[in-house]
Amino acid sequence: MHFVGTRRARLDAAPKVTGAAVYTADVELSGALTGVILRSPHAFARVLSVDISKARSMPGVRAIAHAGNTPDALMAFGIKDQRLFPRPYARYIGEPIAAVAADTEAEARAAADAIVVGYDVLQPVLDALRALAPDAPLVHPDWRSYEKAAGRVLRGNICGHNRIRRGDVEAAFKDPDAVIHESRFRFAPGISGYVEPRAAAARREPGGGLTVWCGSQSPYDNRDELAELFGLPPERVRFVNQFVGGAFGGKILMAAEWYAAALALQCDAPVRVIWSRHEDGMHIYPRHGGFAEFKTAAKRDGTLLAMRASFVYDNGAYIGYGNGTAQISTMLAPAPYRIPNLDIEGTLVYTNKQSAGPVRAPGGPPANYAKELHLDELAAKLGIDPLEFRLRNAWEDGDEGPTGQKLSGVRVKDALRRAAEAVGWGKPLPASSGRGVAATWWFSACGASTARIEIMQDGTFVLATGNPEVGTGSAAGMPLLAAEILGIDPARFKLAISDTATDTHDGGVGGSSSTFSAGMAVTAAATDARIKLLARAEQALEARVDDIVLRDGRAEVRGATDRGVSFAELARAAGGTISGVGESTEQNDPEFDETLTETHGFAAWLAPSYTASAAEVHVDRDTGAVTVRKLATAQDVGFAVNPVGVVGQIEGGAVMGLGWALTEELHYDERGLVKPDLKDYLMPTAVDAPEIEVVVLDSTSGVGPYGLKGVGEPPITTPPAAIACAIRAAVGVAPHETPMTPERVWRTINEK
Amino acid sequence: MHPITLFANGEQHALVVEPLETLLSVLRDRLRLTGTKEGCGTGYCGACTVLVDGRAVNSCLYLAVDTDRREVTTIEGLADEDGALHPVQAAFIERFGLQCGYCTPGMILATAAFLSDNAEPTARDAQRALAGNLCRCTGYQPIIASVLDAAARLREQGRTGERPGKRARIRSRA
Repeated sequence: MHFVGTRRARLDAAPKVTGAAVYTADVELSGALTGVILRSPHAFARVLSVDISKARSMPGVRAIAHAGNTPDALMAFGIKDQRLFPRPYARYIGEPIAAVAADTEAEARAAADAIVVGYDVLQPVLDALRALAPDAPLVHPDWRSYEKAAGRVLRGNICGHNRIRRGDVEAAFKDPDAVIHESRFRFAPGISGYVEPRAAAARREPGGGLTVWCGSQSPYDNRDELAELFGLPPERVRFVNQFVGGAFGGKILMAAEWYAAALALQCDAPVRVIWSRHEDGMHIYPRHGGFAEFKTAAKRDGTLLAMRASFVYDNGAYIGYGNGTAQISTMLAPAPYRIPNLDIEGTLVYTNKQSAGPVRAPGGPPANYAKELHLDELAAKLGIDPLEFRLRNAWEDGDEGPTGQKLSGVRVKDALRRAAEAVGWGKPLPASSGRGVAATWWFSACGASTARIEIMQDGTFVLATGNPEVGTGSAAGMPLLAAEILGIDPARFKLAISDTATDTHDGGVGGSSSTFSAGMAVTAAATDARIKLLARAEQALEARVDDIVLRDGRAEVRGATDRGVSFAELARAAGGTISGVGESTEQNDPEFDETLTETHGFAAWLAPSYTASAAEVHVDRDTGAVTVRKLATAQDVGFAVNPVGVVGQIEGGAVMGLGWALTEELHYDERGLVKPDLKDYLMPTAVDAPEIEVVVLDSTSGVGPYGLKGVGEPPITTPPAAIACAIRAAVGVAPHETPMTPERVWRTINEK
Repeated sequence: MHPITLFANGEQHALVVEPLETLLSVLRDRLRLTGTKEGCGTGYCGACTVLVDGRAVNSCLYLAVDTDRREVTTIEGLADEDGALHPVQAAFIERFGLQCGYCTPGMILATAAFLSDNAEPTARDAQRALAGNLCRCTGYQPIIASVLDAAARLREQGRTGERPGKRARIRSRA
């Protein structure tokens, strides 16, 4: 019986359709107080004083946390640049200055309003290019005193920098036969757009412990970070994850958890901090906005010779997890094409805005949009069909990645052809319609993960992984992996939600790693349980292990199904439970040529996957409105353990990519005040979703269970590029600024 | 302060509500019907969709005082009297119409209301009917498939035109 590769329902579907699923804001906590945040109204200010004397004595108030009564420690995310409450500089509108816990929300709000904060208002810097100017205000005037991890770059407002150089781009640009094209791009910042805003609850436990209820992608890392900041032993801090209403990278770092914990440590009752959409949007970690410049040379026959590219990303006020965006962008800029001469730079810049962070495929949508539209324009200059141009330069087995990594199992050409075919490439189209195609590569991140499987004497099977299910599909994929090894129908597993008290350590959801690395741990745990089951069955059945098959929850002697014993009986014989535990195995990163990189840190990609998207669009020349008629994505997934989940990830990514391309822009006003509400930030609805065709490509180059690769991130990285190229094909030009709103498209057409 | 009588999932509740108290807040905070989710609080995402007298509304914008003597159906009250899943719920499971599940209660209730008016919708009809319900995970394809599948189930079971939710059992609570 094969379970992997079959269509199976998610094990968490029933509670989700009946309302029984408990998300963080739904957790019942008797006597819980409400915590609210007082936020800075200034983009940049020195906080002179925080006077809580009036607020402290107001009705219902139980605690006020602020810089004066919480640890002065710095959070360590590569550069130690951030405190729980700022001292002395508040660096963006919305930065928390204090938190108040009271019996009711109204009382907490009233007290927060009564806190008197003295500010010395300073000149902010709100634009990343402006922040690079020599006379720009410093977002961190005291940057020279900061500690930073090895390989990190910090220089005034520059908080990250990496570079990839090979060959000699200048010599190639001087080649008299080369055709050269230059482009500049601007990307709007965006949000991950999960529907469940951030929320947390915390309770002080007897003996100095703390319990935190949350909906996190990384509860174990969060626990360690929180314990360190508050000086608590990590084993006394318990993070109990709940159902998570979408995450997309936006729930890797803590948010409401910090303030719930800070307040709970000062209270005798649990404290709940539940953010509205507006407050969530002021605080959380947007996708980086930024700029890019490209210059590329090709021979007249379309052979690419050289590329110089530079990205500047707006990282906001603090480094957080922003570093990956610049590193990934430089790895994507020339890929997946053979270009012998490269000079690619990525720079992160501090500004007086909320910290940007990892959002599904950090760097993927902007880098691919800029690179593919730039190359499309070059192909047009050369008079070569865009698909043909890409196929002529696409990587093949034996080629090298940008940093010299040797590539095998490359599926770029297949992906390009299959995606293009799916939208009818080359067939006639009505006026003002066009097709575009785009390709990329992506990594499979491997994190540390632990899993446990328990086979109980009452006939239940528990599958516990520390890897949270945030809506990705691991609630179907993990049981399939375990079922295959144990011979149990996957529907019979009960899933344990991630809870640090269960000690199934996991590095968190990120880098498309869940089924990859947590899947390895589940596979190892199932194998461990299988060995123990077989050892028990040998005794019970008086048969040799080679003659025993595990099937449908029973161990049976091969060819004699009447000689069998149920797993429950074996568990009883073992004293009640048979447990299997397993860990993900560390994977060596591929070799690469270090001399080609500068302060990169992410210059070799494990088990890369290859993805292409194609789009067909219609452009209304009078209004600039773009209608996406069809989107297709062909993605090399290694092996689809859970084919429905894979298709779901690719379709969901396509529509999220469509939003990034056409409508999604996080607006800030001239003072730096963000407008995060959904009336201003437009995410695609059911009406906007085009017809989507998914082509799942198998390959043999993965290294996860069954050779699977990470799936969740690539699908958002190529649709925006394909849409941009399709707009160019339809009307001859496409905006070099995202989102490609009707106004921007109209202006681009009329300015050409 | 206004006294109201609210019938939630067939249960009668006598409540005194503030003039501006929302139905969402009454359902979640007072009746502990937490299956109804808050996504944006401003009527743009549809996560808080419930049915008032069979019609889908954003409960974050609907004043509780307006539900006096009305029937409110939340996701907890959609299943049949015998506990069997409503055909819309069953279709969403079978057609993989959910991932993280946070938009799901609102999505399912909006679908149930829509299908009680339209027994044979096209995919385009379904897209329009759910345009007020955001989903960030699925890209909507499996949701639309779920809606069409649910319509087919309702037709097969002879339940077209049926108003979703439990009828109120009028009784006073001690």
